Amino acid sequence: MSLHAAPADPFIVARGLGYGRRDERVFGPLDFSLDAGCIALVEGDNGSGKTTLLRVLSGLLHPTTGEARVLGAAPGSEQARAGCAALGHLLGLKGDLTVQENLALGTGLYGAREDADAQAMLEHAGLAGYAHEPVRTLSAGQKKRAALARLALLPAPLWLLDEPYANLDRNGIALVNALLAGHAARGGAALVTSHGAVAFYEGVGYTLRLGT
Amino acid sequence: MSASALPRAFLAMLRRDVVLAWRRRGDALLPVLYAVIVTTLFPFALGPEHALLARISGGVVLVTVLLAMLLSLDAVFRGDLEDGALEHMLLAPQPLALLMAARMLAYWLVTALPLVLVAPLLAYMLGLDAVAQPVLLLALLLASALLDLLGIVLTALTVGTRRSGMLLSLMLLPLAVPVVIFAAGAVGAAQQGLPWIAPLAWLAAALALALVLAPLACATALRIALDS
Amino acid sequence: MNAFKLWYHKLGSPPYFYLFAGYIRPWLWGIALLLAAVGLYGGLVLAPPDYQQGDAFRIIFVHVPAAWMSLFIYGVMAVSAFIAVIWRPKMAEVLAMESAPIGAAFTLIALITGSLWGKPTWGTYWTWDARLTSELVLLFIYLGVIGLYHAFEDPRQGARAASFLAMVGAVNLPIVHYSVVWWNTLHQGTTVRYFGPSSIAPSMLWPLLVMTIAAKFYYGASLMGRSRVALLSLERGKDWVRAEVAGAPAGG
Repeated sequence: MSLHAAPADPFIVARGLGYGRRDERVFGPLDFSLDAGCIALVEGDNGSGKTTLLRVLSGLLHPTTGEARVLGAAPGSEQARAGCAALGHLLGLKGDLTVQENLALGTGLYGAREDADAQAMLEHAGLAGYAHEPVRTLSAGQKKRAALARLALLPAPLWLLDEPYANLDRNGIALVNALLAGHAARGGAALVTSHGAVAFYEGVGYTLRLGT
Repeated sequence: MSASALPRAFLAMLRRDVVLAWRRRGDALLPVLYAVIVTTLFPFALGPEHALLARISGGVVLVTVLLAMLLSLDAVFRGDLEDGALEHMLLAPQPLALLMAARMLAYWLVTALPLVLVAPLLAYMLGLDAVAQPVLLLALLLASALLDLLGIVLTALTVGTRRSGMLLSLMLLPLAVPVVIFAAGAVGAAQQGLPWIAPLAWLAAALALALVLAPLACATALRIALDS
Repeated sequence: MNAFKLWYHKLGSPPYFYLFAGYIRPWLWGIALLLAAVGLYGGLVLAPPDYQQGDAFRIIFVHVPAAWMSLFIYGVMAVSAFIAVIWRPKMAEVLAMESAPIGAAFTLIALITGSLWGKPTWGTYWTWDARLTSELVLLFIYLGVIGLYHAFEDPRQGARAASFLAMVGAVNLPIVHYSVVWWNTLHQGTTVRYFGPSSIAPSMLWPLLVMTIAAKFYYGASLMGRSRVALLSLERGKDWVRAEVAGAPAGG
């Protein structure tokens, strides 16, 4: 919805954004903005605050300094949540539900993209034969693929992806890049973290380096 | 957000919890088993004297159901916290309170309802008068729903902590006191042939209030407990 | 008004509060001890024995102030907790959390003295009297707040969660009290009314009031002391704490 509302406005604006735990700096202060159609990479070593940055932008943590606007609203507000989808270290898949049920739960909570087709998406993600398998029987890489498939079905124009390449083989990495390319082509934007060991998406708009 | 998004999310959440419980239906029966065991112990401790058991039957069944609910309350958010599903609920575009309302309803259907259904049998075994049976059932329906709502709010508060089992009992006890008093008061009055509607009306009023406030409080509690 | 606002904002900053608390704490202690001495002398020596209970009634000079304080402190804690949950200032969290153990201690004192008093009056140490029962539930509420606070690894998060619980308890407390009163009349028929407002003689009343005020000053003194320690722990790593800790041996 925000896609068409104000295409000129950046999806994310951060001014002096920083977070500290018990008065110790975790990251920041950062100044950056993310426009529609742009895929930005957040790079840094372990412990440099990549995950924390995404948690602040999704509204799970309150920034301790500066401020951020996500889709023109405060992070975590209803307006921001409506256009934002996140993928973290914990995938949020229920092990006792089948892959298809997990996807249906995702679209039940977030809504589904109009042109989304769960079956085609599963095939695209290399899970064609697994739709009715309980998620707990899948391997770590397959779980990641299922979570990515769920993400790609959602209508959210802004993706916050924490280490989407982790646990994936070469084909899986290609899958992430293909999903990012499709997302950017639709006018979506994404902030993607990585500790910098794999071949990322080639169309990266810019790189945000943390922890220097 | 379209108008259909709210009921859709509510139903998706409700469906999820019920399906999950069905896939683990053995676990869902454990509280019922616990209630049966506890009730069975009372005659052994107090002797099989009918008059005594009949007199305490209502109270014993109420307290047993409360304890059985408490036993499983601790686990309401644990699985979702461990696999990250809880974060997805917090990040979903729907109001968190709506999703929590669905969870509360699901938890009541899955855990409290079987207990309420087995309670008349337990009360009968202890010799509760037939006239008081419907009152007990009604009191249990109201009291279990109320404890479900209050208990889940408190469980949400303990989500970020390491050990929560005993703590949860300590936190829930003060809230359970009025519920137990009114529910047992109604059953006691019915046993003595006195009017019993007033305490139940109070419980129903409290339930109406809790239905509105508890999901909101639960959402606030979750955000507090998970914000670090 | 402006001066008050400035003072309020200054007090909200931990280093300033630390200094302020350290400054007023000895005064609060002094006033509390003085008033307690006067009140106890008046209550235990000057007041005549009760014509029914003899000297046993003298426990009220401890019991009644403790019982009042258990509620008063809960009130203070609930207000701080409300502020802590809504506006998240650090000082409100500290005050709410450091009030809880003091309130629990007063509740425990009220319970113990109440049951000691119960032995000569009712012939038993414990009876399910409405007031004693409510006080027992209040103790559980306090313990729940304290327990929840300590269950979190991050003290600020624990303080906010426990503050929320304290607010729930504030709503629950009157409900508990009235339901217990109702339950009590239902099962016992007679409530022992041991303390009517008109039945107390002035010679007993003034020591009681003095003791109540002494208890409030003691609460203030204890709260200031506890808050200072809590602030040092919460703010460790900050410059003012380093300076304070490093300067302490040299300065005194």
